Amino acid sequence: MPIFTRIQKDRYIDSLETLNQTAVLNDQPGIESGYVGMATNVFKEVIEEIGLGTPEIQSCTEADYVIVAEAESEEAFEKAVNELTAGSASSEETEEKKYYSSIRSAVIEHPRANLCQIAVPGEYALEEVKKALNAGLHCCVFSNNVPLDQEREMKELAREKGLLCMGPDCGVANINGAALVLSSINNRGPFGIIGASGTGIQHVAAILHEAGTGVSQTIGTGGNDLKEPVGGITMLMGIDALEADPETKFIILISRKPADSVLQKLLARIRTMKKPRVVFFMGCDKETIEETGAVWADNLDNCALRALELIGNDYSLGDLEELKETAKEAVKGMAPEQKYVRAAYTGGTYLDEGMRTMWEAAGGIWSNAPLSPEWKLADGEASKGHTAIDYGEEEFTLGRPHPAIDAGIRRPAILKEAADPETAVIVLDFILTPPGHMDPCGFVVPDIKKAQEIAKERGGKIAFVASVLGTTADWQDIRKQEEELREAGVYVCRTNYRAALLASEIIRLRKEAA
Amino acid sequence: MRDVSKILSLFRSELVTVNVGPRSFAEVLEKQGYEAVQVDWKPAAGGDKHMQELLEYLGGWE
Repeated sequence: MPIFTRIQKDRYIDSLETLNQTAVLNDQPGIESGYVGMATNVFKEVIEEIGLGTPEIQSCTEADYVIVAEAESEEAFEKAVNELTAGSASSEETEEKKYYSSIRSAVIEHPRANLCQIAVPGEYALEEVKKALNAGLHCCVFSNNVPLDQEREMKELAREKGLLCMGPDCGVANINGAALVLSSINNRGPFGIIGASGTGIQHVAAILHEAGTGVSQTIGTGGNDLKEPVGGITMLMGIDALEADPETKFIILISRKPADSVLQKLLARIRTMKKPRVVFFMGCDKETIEETGAVWADNLDNCALRALELIGNDYSLGDLEELKETAKEAVKGMAPEQKYVRAAYTGGTYLDEGMRTMWEAAGGIWSNAPLSPEWKLADGEASKGHTAIDYGEEEFTLGRPHPAIDAGIRRPAILKEAADPETAVIVLDFILTPPGHMDPCGFVVPDIKKAQEIAKERGGKIAFVASVLGTTADWQDIRKQEEELREAGVYVCRTNYRAALLASEIIRLRKEAA
Repeated sequence: MRDVSKILSLFRSELVTVNVGPRSFAEVLEKQGYEAVQVDWKPAAGGDKHMQELLEYLGGWE
């Protein structure tokens, strides 16, 4: 089929809008496959890779907007393009809303503005953050790939001005009840959370919500805050703020293990805190944490449960023994060659937690982001043995939004892993957030059913194990999402850790059976 | 302890967000009932870093 292109010079459309347009384009009659985007280098690479590259697109600049498609005819392509432009024209006509061209002009007309949410490509983040801070706004910076010296610069400026700089690479923050960037919608309550892992914050807050309590504020620091060059500026400011905040009665700190020098600074500060606090720094031993007067937690589930104990809430995530019974049921009907776990995660925190949990039972797990370097899968390399893939890694997300928003990124994993007759169990995580897919679980159910058919034809059965991160207040509703998976025969666990435990038990049973 | 009065003032105020980036991030805040103001960001000088630096030097890039 021939390839057609439409190029508009100097027209900027943001990445989420181009994603929507790509989806609309691919739904049009006569379009085999198509793509819409700004002609960045990444876009050009993607286009080449999927066979839609043309010399015309190669000669475009980053300021050019491109629609490209393999189509039955020029007429079909023109019709599809009209559909896209008609959609955006009508939405522009009906919207009376005013858009601003700069932070400064927005603040002049909205003097009550107090926070700036920034999601621009990383190389432009510092400039925008400086403008926001200079305009007196606290910042929540979703942009990633910001060099550490620039992160330090923006955070030092924020500290000098007494303003909060959450991120760069801040995926989760709940301020005054609002779910910013990729957060879940949570009940409010007495717990203030500061975390260097967005998933970690969201996970603990979701359990607090489920247990009938909630959060005062959650402050995402970004994943690099506790590294040596940044020095924990945001976490330390966050502690000061939540200690002084009358609505916050308890404080929870979450991170991977901080750099040594930063850890010492943090421990010194935690020691002088007045409010009861729970600390989960992955890999930090009990004595180190307890010596500061804090409650120690060794994983995300326990972090939430320890926090709940502080208010006398004995909420339980369920009996671990039950998982063993579920595993016994799950392996019934598997073919003799089925022995491997294949996990497809949407982000690094759950990938890490999953691999650590399954490591012993698996005896090593291949990954694109492995626990130790000898288990590294090369970019694009197919799964082998036990494998866990992070679909939030750059090789999948270049030029596309995060998999929590663009559910299509991880979707091919299900049928790909199911095609391997040695796959016994497929582990999936799902994350709910306001800008995310409105039905992330329902979206993959057809693939799960198809995978089961493939396995059945081979005389086997694949165990699907999943967990959903979110709350009953999320628009997607965690209960509804879990139910859709259960109806498709998926074993839905309360948390990612429990899903990994169930998968471990399944591969243990498969080893025994061999 | 540092002066955290501005952060406490944020916690006590109605949240009004200036959103620099995808419009949908502003839309979902509004749908949650919070005021959001959209800045339609695009790379200055068509993404040409050298040109941006030049414009900044000349005071023409905000």
